[in-house]
Amino acid sequence: MVNLEELKKEASQILKEGKVKYIIGFQRGSNGLLPVPAFIKNPKDVEKLVWDPTCVYNLTLFLQDEKRKKTKEKEPDERPVGIVVKGCDSRAINVLLQEEFIKRDDVYVLGVSCENTGVLDEKKLAKKLKGKKAKKVEFGANDDFVITTEDGNIKIAAQEVLAERCLECKAHFPVIYDVLIGEKTKRNVENPFKSLEKIESLPPEERWKFWKEQIEKCIRCYACRSVCPMCYCDECVADTINFVVTPDTSAEEKAQKIKWLEKSPVSSENFVYHFVRAIHLAGRCIDCGECERVCPLDIPVRFLNKKLEKEAKELFDYDVGFDPDKPSLVSSFKDDDPEDFIR
Amino acid sequence: MAEEFEPKIVAFLCKWCSSAGSDLAGVSRMQYPPNVIPITVMCSGSVSPLYIFSAFNKGADGVLVSGCHPGDCHYIKGNFYARRRIALVKKLLEYVGLEPERFQMSWISAAEGVKYTKVIKDFVQELKPLGPQKKLRRTQ
Repeated sequence: MVNLEELKKEASQILKEGKVKYIIGFQRGSNGLLPVPAFIKNPKDVEKLVWDPTCVYNLTLFLQDEKRKKTKEKEPDERPVGIVVKGCDSRAINVLLQEEFIKRDDVYVLGVSCENTGVLDEKKLAKKLKGKKAKKVEFGANDDFVITTEDGNIKIAAQEVLAERCLECKAHFPVIYDVLIGEKTKRNVENPFKSLEKIESLPPEERWKFWKEQIEKCIRCYACRSVCPMCYCDECVADTINFVVTPDTSAEEKAQKIKWLEKSPVSSENFVYHFVRAIHLAGRCIDCGECERVCPLDIPVRFLNKKLEKEAKELFDYDVGFDPDKPSLVSSFKDDDPEDFIR
Repeated sequence: MAEEFEPKIVAFLCKWCSSAGSDLAGVSRMQYPPNVIPITVMCSGSVSPLYIFSAFNKGADGVLVSGCHPGDCHYIKGNFYARRRIALVKKLLEYVGLEPERFQMSWISAAEGVKYTKVIKDFVQELKPLGPQKKLRRTQ
């Protein structure tokens, strides 16, 4: 059982000792069920910290801001940042370490276990409660969630309201941590890529119809890019600057500012954007599912990334985010990589 | 009679092997279909997936990436990286429902002019029944 008091105690202690600059965690929001990110500097504020199945966000996203801020400062505070991570988020830290985006000394990882379950899918819960409003969700004793509504407590089996990705989770506990709160539990997942089968089993034309319908919806709000802890490029190929070529434009400028894709949200351009994102996340996506959660048009973005995760596993036997010392997927190779598709 | 559909193929050829191979086919006066638009790149490993998506986006009916045979790369291991990356791109394109024949990879050495013509001939043969690529093509 995750002991919240333990987390608070640990957090307050490292803040008091001055071990960390601040702590990124979850706190109750003022609106609705979901919490909001908390940035805690004062040891007194650790009482705000929460950890329950509603903490769906991947907080490692904020390490990007931290890094940007640090590079701008003249005399940066070199102390690490405390961060509360779940199993999936901890793998994001591993990938960031692997890419040397952050150093191990930059973070103090407060790992929390998902207690054999995972986090909630808000939509699933809303359906389940049929109009009743949940006020609070807590981990139950036997792989279930205790949900507090206006009419009292309800127990729901976790499997029924878990987020899709949690049903296919490979690590229910942080794989990298300085302090672990909770137990290292492991639930057996038969097939971590089961959700893909539905699309994969379709004939190619049906698959095309499905994806065209989905990708066509995209309005290019780039919410998926903004929320992704792995999308940290300073400049994205999707943000093509409106570039006017004049007689004075140098060849170098022309070469550097290529308009790879149009900004207009039409199917062909959306496809290029989503392909590029999927390929950039190949071997890096840790399946935190944030892209899909924030999508205002409910595009199953996760299935694109998941597919490449599956191929990485099947073709190259590559697991994402378990070992920060391993070379990344596309910066390494084996002599016997499959080449049956090559003429 | 309606004209037969002539596919447009964009071929990314590495400078050291495949491009030299296509040159050999040319100077040896071997016959092969004129449907290819060759683009010489320094190494098959330098072909960004974005080039491939962009080619389809701008109206290519087929894309070919060709490099040196494994072990022959001028940059020692560029084509090994390419092999991995292209495998992922191929899987992704097939996953969204693009015909697998439209995107191909080959190893062609500088001495294999004949193989180059064969690859192109086969590619064109396979693309003809598929018709123009409209799925990823920019419409506006």
